[in-house]
Amino acid sequence: MQRRFTLATALAAAALIFASLPALAQTQLRVFSGGQNQRPDLMRKLFDQYQKANPGVSINIETGGGTSELQRQYLSTVLNAKDSTIDIYLIDIVNPAQYYGAGWLEPLNAYVGEPSVALKPYLPVYATSNVVDGKVAAMPAFADAMFMYYRKDLLEKYKIAEPKTWDELVASSKKIQAGEGRSNLQGLSIQGAPIEGAVCTFLLPYWSQGKDFNDASGKLTLDRAAASRGLQQWLNMVDAGVIKKNVAEVKTPDTVNEFKAGQVVFAINWSWAWDRLNDDADSQVRGKVGVMALPAVAGGKSATCVGGWQWAVSAFSKHKAEAARLVKFMAAPEASRFLAAQGSLLPTSLAVYTDPEVLKAAPWFKDAAKAVVAGRSRPMSRDYGQVSDVIRTTTSAVLARTKTPDEGVGEISSRLARVMR
Amino acid sequence: MTKQGWLDRLRDPSEKTLGLLLLAPAFALLALIVVYPIGRLIFNSFYDLRLSGGGGAKFVGLENYALVWADADFWNATRNTVLITVITVPGALVVGLALALLANLPFKRQWPVRLALLLPWALPLSFAGLIFAWFFHTEYGVVNDLLRRVGLTEPTMWLLRPPLAMAAICLTIIWKTSSFMALILLAGLQMIPKSLYEAAEVDGASRWQQFWAITIPMLMPSIVVALIFRTITALQTFDIPYTMTKGGPGNATETLAMLIHKTTIDYLDLGYGSTLAVCMFVLSMLVTALYLRRVGQSA
Repeated sequence: MQRRFTLATALAAAALIFASLPALAQTQLRVFSGGQNQRPDLMRKLFDQYQKANPGVSINIETGGGTSELQRQYLSTVLNAKDSTIDIYLIDIVNPAQYYGAGWLEPLNAYVGEPSVALKPYLPVYATSNVVDGKVAAMPAFADAMFMYYRKDLLEKYKIAEPKTWDELVASSKKIQAGEGRSNLQGLSIQGAPIEGAVCTFLLPYWSQGKDFNDASGKLTLDRAAASRGLQQWLNMVDAGVIKKNVAEVKTPDTVNEFKAGQVVFAINWSWAWDRLNDDADSQVRGKVGVMALPAVAGGKSATCVGGWQWAVSAFSKHKAEAARLVKFMAAPEASRFLAAQGSLLPTSLAVYTDPEVLKAAPWFKDAAKAVVAGRSRPMSRDYGQVSDVIRTTTSAVLARTKTPDEGVGEISSRLARVMR
Repeated sequence: MTKQGWLDRLRDPSEKTLGLLLLAPAFALLALIVVYPIGRLIFNSFYDLRLSGGGGAKFVGLENYALVWADADFWNATRNTVLITVITVPGALVVGLALALLANLPFKRQWPVRLALLLPWALPLSFAGLIFAWFFHTEYGVVNDLLRRVGLTEPTMWLLRPPLAMAAICLTIIWKTSSFMALILLAGLQMIPKSLYEAAEVDGASRWQQFWAITIPMLMPSIVVALIFRTITALQTFDIPYTMTKGGPGNATETLAMLIHKTTIDYLDLGYGSTLAVCMFVLSMLVTALYLRRVGQSA
C-alpha cells in the first residue's frame, strides 16, 4: 500500500511537470554555427545577450566540420532530408545561391525588407553575394577577404610607393629582389595549388581588368581573352622571377610561412594571415607588414575576393519569424563590432572598420577597409562545389604549365557553360 | 503429428531447416550491409539525384550511362587507374618477392626483419601519401635534396609534371603495398619443404635452377592470391594520389575512385556518382573473373 502510494505520487508529480512545460512557452532555436574558425564561443556570447533581452527564446548551438566544404556537405545532407531541427545556419559567402536554388532557405524580404534597403548599411559585395532573384537569401555575419600584404620596411628602404598596377608591382619586386641579392627572396606569393585560394588566383587578375565572371542571374559571362591574359600575367611573373617556379604547389599556409620567414616581399592571402605574420613568436617580420588594396591592370580597377560567413533561416524551421529576428540581431552592426573587437573577425559594414573600439583591438582594419570595399563575390551558382573545382584545378594546371592559358580558359568556359546557365 | 504447427517444427527442426536457421542471421547481415547498398547503388544510377539541386530524385533511365560513355573525365580516370594497376601490381610482386626471400633467410633474430617487413603495411595509406608528398616536394623534399648533392642544380618539380607525378605515385604505392605481398609470399615460402632443396642440391642444381624449378612453382598459389588482392585494391586506388597530388596537375593523376568521390562528395551528384561507381564495380568484377578463370584452369 505504501509503495503504491509513492508510485502514484511520483506519477502525479511527473504529470504536473510535463503539463507545466508548455506554460513556460520557450521558443527553442537551434543554430548551426560552423566550425571552430567561425568562433562559436563568440557567437554563444551574442546568443546569451539575445536570450537576456528576449526571455522567451532559448538558443542551442551546434558546431560542425572545420572547412567550408565539410560544412556544406553536412548541411546539404540534413537539408535535403528537410530536417526541421535546425532553424538558423551559418554558410560560406559562396553558398547562398545553392541553398536558395535548392529551396533550403527562407527568403528574408518579409522580415528585413527589400534587398536595396536591407543590405544598404553593409559592404557593397553583399548586394550581389547575398541576393538571389531579388530575394535576400542571407544576412552578413562577418567578412573575410584576400589582402595584399607587403614588407613595409623593404618598400621604405628602396623608397617605393605602394604599387597601384600589376606592372608597378613587378618593377618594385625586381628592384627589391636585385637590391637584397638573396636568391630565395620572392617578389610575390600567390596560391597555385588546387585549393579554394586558387579560385581567387584565377579571378583577381581577371576582375582587375574590369571584367565580370557572371551576370546577376548567375549566367557565365566569361571574357575568354581577358581570362587568358590574367593567367598569362602570372606566368610572366614566374618567368621574370617575381613568383617562384613551383607556384602550382603553393597552398595558403605556405605563403604565410614563407612571408613569416622573410622570404616574400608581396603576398596575397586571407585576413587570418595578419595575426600570424604580426603576432607569431617565430615571425621574422613582426611590425614590418603593411596592407594595401590589390593592384589592377593599367586602366582597370582594383578588386579582391571576399569571403566570410552569412546567417540564413532554414526553409524547414518551425519558428521562422523568431529565427529571422535572431538573424537580424546577429547581422546588426553592434554584433559585427563585438566580433571585430573580440575576435578580429572582419566587419561587414564600412562604418565598423573605423570604430574606435574596433581599431583599438585591430588597428590594421583601417587599411583593410581600403581593400574590402573593392571586394567582389566569387561566381554565384547552386553548383558552386563544381564551379570551384573546375576553376581551381585548371588554374593550378596552367600554373604548372601542363596547359596553356588559352587551353585552360577554354576548358573552364566549356565545363562551366553547362553548369552556370 | 501432421498437424504440427510451424512453431513445433522450429522447436524440433530437421537438419536442413536447422542449417538454414543457423545461416539466417549471417544472410540477414550480408543482405543489410552488402546486398542492400549495392542494390541501392544500382537503383540510384538510374536517377538524376543531386543534393545541390534539392529537387528530389528524377528517373532518367540509362541517360547517366550514356553520359559516362561520352565523359572524357571518366576515360581519363579509367586510363590512370589501369596504368597504376599495370605498373604497381607487378612492381609490388617483384619487390615483395625479393623482400620475402630476404626475410626467409636463416637470420639469427627473426623479429627485426619481420617488423621491418610489416611497418609500411601497418602505416595508413594517407600517411604514406603525405610522407611521400613531402619527399617529392620541389623545395623541401628529400629527393631533390639528394639530387642537388649529386650535382643537379635545377630542382625537379616532381608532382607538377604529369609523367613524373604518376611515377612518384606508383613508386609510393609499390613501397606501401610490397610488404603485404611479402607477407603472403613469406607464408608460402615457409610451406615449401626443405627436403626438395636438399634433393635438388644432391642432383647438382644451381641456386638459380632451384629458384625457377622449385620456389616459383611451389609458390604459385600464394602468388595468385596475392595478385588478386593487390589488383582489386589497385583498381580502388584513392588515398595515395589524393594526398600526393589531389589528382593533379589538372586531372593527370585522377583515378576512378577519386572521380567518384569528387562527383558524389564535392559535387553532391549522387545519381551520376552512383553510375560511375557501378562502372567501376563492373571493371573490378571483370578483372576478378579473369583471374579466377586462370586459377580454375591451373588447378
